[in-house]
Amino acid sequence: MKKQIIYIFLAASILVTSCKKEEDLFPVPPANISDAFAFTTPDRILNQVKGLYATLRNGNFYGGRYLIYNDIRGEEFLLQDPNEVTGAGVWSQSVNNSTNNVKDFWSQGYFTINRCNVFLDGMETTGNNVVGTALAANYNAEARLVRALSYYSLLQLFARPYADGGGDKPGLPLRLKGNTSLGDYNLPRSTVAEVYAQVLEDLNFAETNLPVTITDALSRTTRAHRNTAIALKTRVYLSMQKYDEVITEANKIVSASAPFTATTGVNHALQADVTNLFKDFTTTESIFSMPFNANETPGTQNQLAYYYTPARTVVTGGVGQGLYSLNPQGIIANTGWTAADKRRTFVKSSGSGTTLKYWMFKYTSPSPYTDFVPVIRYAEVLLNLAEAKVRSLNTVDAQAVALLNAVRSRSDATTTFTVASFTTANDLANAILTERRIEFLGEGLRSPDVLRLLMTIPGKSNIPSVPSTAQNYIWPISANELLLNNLMTDN
Amino acid sequence: MRKLFTLIVAVALLTTDLYGQERTINGTITDNNGTAIAGASVVAKPNGGGTTTNNTGNFTIRVSPSVRSLEVSAVNFTPQTITLGNTTTFNLKLEAALSNLAEVVVVGYGTQRRSEITGNVASINGKVLADKPVQSFEQALGGRAAGVQITMPNGALNNPPVIRIRGTNSISLSSYPLIVVDGVPAFTDNQSGTAAASNPLSSINPSDIESIDIAKDAAASAIYGSRAANGVVFITTKKGKQGRARVNYEGWVGQTKVQRLPELLNAQQYTDLKNEGLRNAGTYNDNPADNITDNYYATSLDANGNLIDTRWYDYTYRTAISHNHNINVSGANESTRYYFSFGYSDQQGIIRKNDFIRKTVLANVDQKVNNILSFGGKVSYSNENNLAAVSSGSLAGEAFGSYGLGRSAILQSPNVAPYNADGTYNVGAGGNLGVMENKVASVGFANAIPSLDLNRQNSEASHLTGNVYVQLKPLPWITLRSLYGIDYLLIDNESFFSPLTAESYNVGSATSTYNKIKRSIWTNTAQFDYTFALKHNTSLLVGTEQQRTNTNGFGLNRTTLSDPFFTTIQGGFGTVATSGLSIGENYLYSQFGRLQYNYNKKYFVTGNIRRDGASQLGANEKYGTFWGASAGWEIAQEQFWGAAGIDKIFSSFRFRGSYGKVGNIAGLGNYGAISTYSSGLYGTNATLSFNNAGNPDLTWETSKKIDFGFSFGILNDKITGDVAYYKNNIDGLILNVPQAPSAGLPNAISTNVGSMYNKGVEFSLNATPIQKKDFSWSTSFNIGYNKNEVTALAPGLDQITTATSLETVSITKAGYPVGTLFVTRTAGVDPATGRRIFINAKGEQVYYQHVVPSGQSRWTYADGSPAPTVSAADAVILGKNTNPKFLGGFDNTFRFGGFELNALFTYQFGYYVYYGTNSGLRDQRFWNNSTDVLRRWQKAEDPTDIPRLIANDNISNGSSFPIDINIFKGDFIKLRTITLGYNLPKRVVDKARISSARVYVSGNNLAIITKYPGPDPEVSSNGNDASSQGVDRNQVANGRIITIGLNIGF
Repeated sequence: MKKQIIYIFLAASILVTSCKKEEDLFPVPPANISDAFAFTTPDRILNQVKGLYATLRNGNFYGGRYLIYNDIRGEEFLLQDPNEVTGAGVWSQSVNNSTNNVKDFWSQGYFTINRCNVFLDGMETTGNNVVGTALAANYNAEARLVRALSYYSLLQLFARPYADGGGDKPGLPLRLKGNTSLGDYNLPRSTVAEVYAQVLEDLNFAETNLPVTITDALSRTTRAHRNTAIALKTRVYLSMQKYDEVITEANKIVSASAPFTATTGVNHALQADVTNLFKDFTTTESIFSMPFNANETPGTQNQLAYYYTPARTVVTGGVGQGLYSLNPQGIIANTGWTAADKRRTFVKSSGSGTTLKYWMFKYTSPSPYTDFVPVIRYAEVLLNLAEAKVRSLNTVDAQAVALLNAVRSRSDATTTFTVASFTTANDLANAILTERRIEFLGEGLRSPDVLRLLMTIPGKSNIPSVPSTAQNYIWPISANELLLNNLMTDN
Repeated sequence: MRKLFTLIVAVALLTTDLYGQERTINGTITDNNGTAIAGASVVAKPNGGGTTTNNTGNFTIRVSPSVRSLEVSAVNFTPQTITLGNTTTFNLKLEAALSNLAEVVVVGYGTQRRSEITGNVASINGKVLADKPVQSFEQALGGRAAGVQITMPNGALNNPPVIRIRGTNSISLSSYPLIVVDGVPAFTDNQSGTAAASNPLSSINPSDIESIDIAKDAAASAIYGSRAANGVVFITTKKGKQGRARVNYEGWVGQTKVQRLPELLNAQQYTDLKNEGLRNAGTYNDNPADNITDNYYATSLDANGNLIDTRWYDYTYRTAISHNHNINVSGANESTRYYFSFGYSDQQGIIRKNDFIRKTVLANVDQKVNNILSFGGKVSYSNENNLAAVSSGSLAGEAFGSYGLGRSAILQSPNVAPYNADGTYNVGAGGNLGVMENKVASVGFANAIPSLDLNRQNSEASHLTGNVYVQLKPLPWITLRSLYGIDYLLIDNESFFSPLTAESYNVGSATSTYNKIKRSIWTNTAQFDYTFALKHNTSLLVGTEQQRTNTNGFGLNRTTLSDPFFTTIQGGFGTVATSGLSIGENYLYSQFGRLQYNYNKKYFVTGNIRRDGASQLGANEKYGTFWGASAGWEIAQEQFWGAAGIDKIFSSFRFRGSYGKVGNIAGLGNYGAISTYSSGLYGTNATLSFNNAGNPDLTWETSKKIDFGFSFGILNDKITGDVAYYKNNIDGLILNVPQAPSAGLPNAISTNVGSMYNKGVEFSLNATPIQKKDFSWSTSFNIGYNKNEVTALAPGLDQITTATSLETVSITKAGYPVGTLFVTRTAGVDPATGRRIFINAKGEQVYYQHVVPSGQSRWTYADGSPAPTVSAADAVILGKNTNPKFLGGFDNTFRFGGFELNALFTYQFGYYVYYGTNSGLRDQRFWNNSTDVLRRWQKAEDPTDIPRLIANDNISNGSSFPIDINIFKGDFIKLRTITLGYNLPKRVVDKARISSARVYVSGNNLAIITKYPGPDPEVSSNGNDASSQGVDRNQVANGRIITIGLNIGF
């Protein structure tokens, strides 16, 4: 009897244990790729490269808010909607450590950096062998360019300008290894100079290893090639006030005389009609842009057209919410910016009398907001070079004037500068700065331009100006970083 | 299957020689009045077979010589034992049971008699849930069992209630108990993809529920191992009862009205006070010479020239009508039991356009083929239409939604109308409420009226559940059972936003998503019940189970309506995009066992063990073993008890205790433990990006639970009671530990780090003080005390704050209860200036004035010198806990003649609620205010709690960041239900040729005693979230329901 009981028991146990699916306890997610297989095929690696750009393009970063924050910190825009989410605190120079704008921008910047680092690590471990030396060099260069641009962008908001003490002020925690798991992530800030040095090291590597040219127009504008790295270096060196290096870099891609074009690599040149740049996003003037289309959108409350154009019921052609109007006392009040200037067509008005408001119509594609976001245009390289020459030589440099004219006259045939137009080198430098305000209105250059020269951020409406010595000249560090990184220090 | 067959043959062979010298026993079982009891169970002891009585109360059983006695039991009667001698025919009268000790309790993969249970299980009869005007049964569980907290979050229809059994047992994961319906674990939580809530448990027609058993301690729940930490709720649906076929109709119709809404300013008061605010801000301007710069509020007239005074409540809330009908047919004979039911419920919510329409079909069939083989099954289908037009603002995550009705009904200006004089919608820029005669920029967010009229946000659930089982009893004491069950939840979400409404103004959009959630389960058990030497009763259960759950969702979102004619996704639109994509699977494999032993029904021990493997866990930690052990001592069975005469008072008295270890993974993502890369697009090209940092060491949260207490019956169990102490130590709480943002990780990595405990005492008492022919009174009372404290979070993670959408008032920190309130302090209103006095983190008093002359500071110390800005960063923990310390219910039933009066009170004490809505009710933007602001500060030395009104001041009253004045005690006593029923007398019933008829009138939520100023202190803006309870932010209120009903039996 006892035996039989055991028998039944065993039979029952066998029956019920035989059906277990051990492998189902170790699932493979059907809609994602496990990290074990991310670097196993050339296609996956190429897709990862594009993924790095897509991360940079996030609406909280270069897909929108980097530009918006740097523009609304400046004097050209007036707040229309007192919403903290859409940058009211940024505009009023009153963000604190806990402001979401600050926390999200910081996080997204480093998120982009880490993805670059994880990619570079994976390439070193397996990826380089999978794609071969030549492609590996290209891909690693692209990753390092994205990383460099991310560090540079974070520096513009979270660190004192290089000019303040030659970069000896606290910069950013410099992270160059990929993080993928739990760990000790306490890391102090490197100096501003150290971070800039890394940015330049990455861009130099990129210059050497990126493809010289890309034939397809969309990829040429949205992925990096050699001239992209050079163009960015002109911007970085200008921010560091290293004017000789700006000149050296710019000369690689700017011909000696007008019409100024890039003679090697992608043949960058100014387009005849500046307004065309915001309709056809892949001309040779757009060195690097963040692409958008109906299936790839900047996301809610990140879209440039949503911020700057009002509803269509307010101004014909408006597609947005009009969160920021143009400051009537800003650059649009500049009398040297003539009515004939094509760039005036980017400015429209609504209302009259006390309800008169001006709006920027550079970005005009309607919801779902598919305007490309410019990162760097050839016009900037020209003006970077012009300014560097003036400041480096401290004379009214003829080529600088020619470069300035190249940008001005393609939009305004009625204005031509000559060397005689400027009494001092400083006048010319200021004219170039003014030109930048006109040319790059709404393209995210205003605050960095003010800060790199340690100028006072001008006041606007009821917001007072911010001198370079003020604490809110730069942003405070994200409260989360201060909380979780024990070695981090606040601004 | 071959193995199963082999087993059957083996067992059949084995059984034959045991029936050598059988004899036949006959008998009749009746009640005290001699009425036959059909369906009484007759079990041969020890280790013999069993049978049930037929319709005339007769039974016949063949028993082996080893059988010494027969145990006879029936529902609602006290069991009796017949000792077998030479007699083979018995006529037995059973005593009606007064207590619940005789009842059968579901314990997971089996049942047990209450008197033999050593774990802590609370049982609730399905009768108390039927006929209640609820969408899902658990909404009616409040107050029914000690230690079981049910919170109805708000008046949004079919919103899942918050359930806590013995406190909150997790921080990041779910604290919702495991719900097992007829052996199949059910889906819980809101599964809707739209603004209409959809609780999957609403697919169970409450009137189909036979009983609910709630396993609270480790001993009772450990058989569900890794899912038992929050307690286990067993739902048993009805089966046919012995006797002729019965047909029942149950129906009710009810009316719901919203209650306790805050009183708001009328149009004139609003206009005057808002203008006062503008004047105080220095921005009032009605200069007739220059209307461009006008800035003032003004009333408007309607088409008939009457003053517009809009009570937005009237456009948002309604008197809702609901009706509900069930028909069931059931019956059983010796070999077949069946129960079929059809239910139809059409319930209106108190918010306009918020409806719940459910159709249910249930079939339960059990068939006994012979003494060895039986099989059966259940099929249940439910179709639920959850309808809404506009977000209620009341579901989790919606508190600050731009269109939430809870908020828009109170903040919109009463001095404008929803319609223009010409009958068109009063809509201004962006679909927002038009300003009419007001000379200000805006007087409201979206005009909700066109949205209510034109929009749709529906969620239709098709819910199919079923199971089949086969059962073998090769020997009377062996039960082999195999059950296969499915639970398919198919959800169709469908929304449409008209271009005339703010939700998609000038654009128009439609979204349709389809979500399939499918679960299958296969359970195999073997149970051995054997009695050795007459007194050693043992029962062994062993089993395995595998459960698989799949989710798969997809859908479309289309925008830019091409023609106003179209209102569906299939119509003409300019764009198309994907929406609601989801896919996933999880798998749980388990082995379990239970060993029970009692000596002569005096000493009891039970051990449960379960080993679970779960696919959601880290690769290094897939398996966990959980167990529970319990013991009991029925002291009343001891000789000395009777000898001392104590049994004359205490008819039963039992000590019991248990200890065990169970787990929790409820709410853990399918693939969160794995590091993955996800795909996206860049410039129309595919991308791949590192998107999840996994944790290969991720494992269960572990609960070690201790429970001891005693239960007793007094005066032949006329009074029964239960006292329990418990402590639950939770270790390895899974927390999403944030890393430094500069590490750049894509997610906060889930890690087993925190610890927490719940401890408490429970007491329940049931009594029938009066039991006479024409009058009876039965009463039950329960109370539970619980204390929760978090003892550790993660290294480097000092505190976890949980946001209620845009604001944060909940903090979880070691040394405090989970989700305690966290706000900035204030110190009243300065009587000299009417300024709000804040207290900053340093403890300094800082005065605030929203508008100050240029160059002056808005924040000053008492002496006028500038002070740093006070903000949410100055928030402190005030020791205001959100988990009730005491909760319970008090239920009384009186019967007199054919009448029956039942009243259930529920109560919760010792907790606080953050009434965030109140800050909106005093916000000095264009928002309408509660009449509280009429007592505002106006002149020096005005003693008031309302600061001077200054236009656009959103800081002084707590809108910008939460402040302490909006925290209130939540303590309440509610008259949850009161029902007066009348059973038609037998002669009337007989004349109508029906077997029974009952009519009743019932009220729900009729009265509440509380000092809480909001509509209802039973509230949750964050759904079931464990760490942010006790928040009342822009919720729609709960309704008060009156129903009348009719039950007829044929």
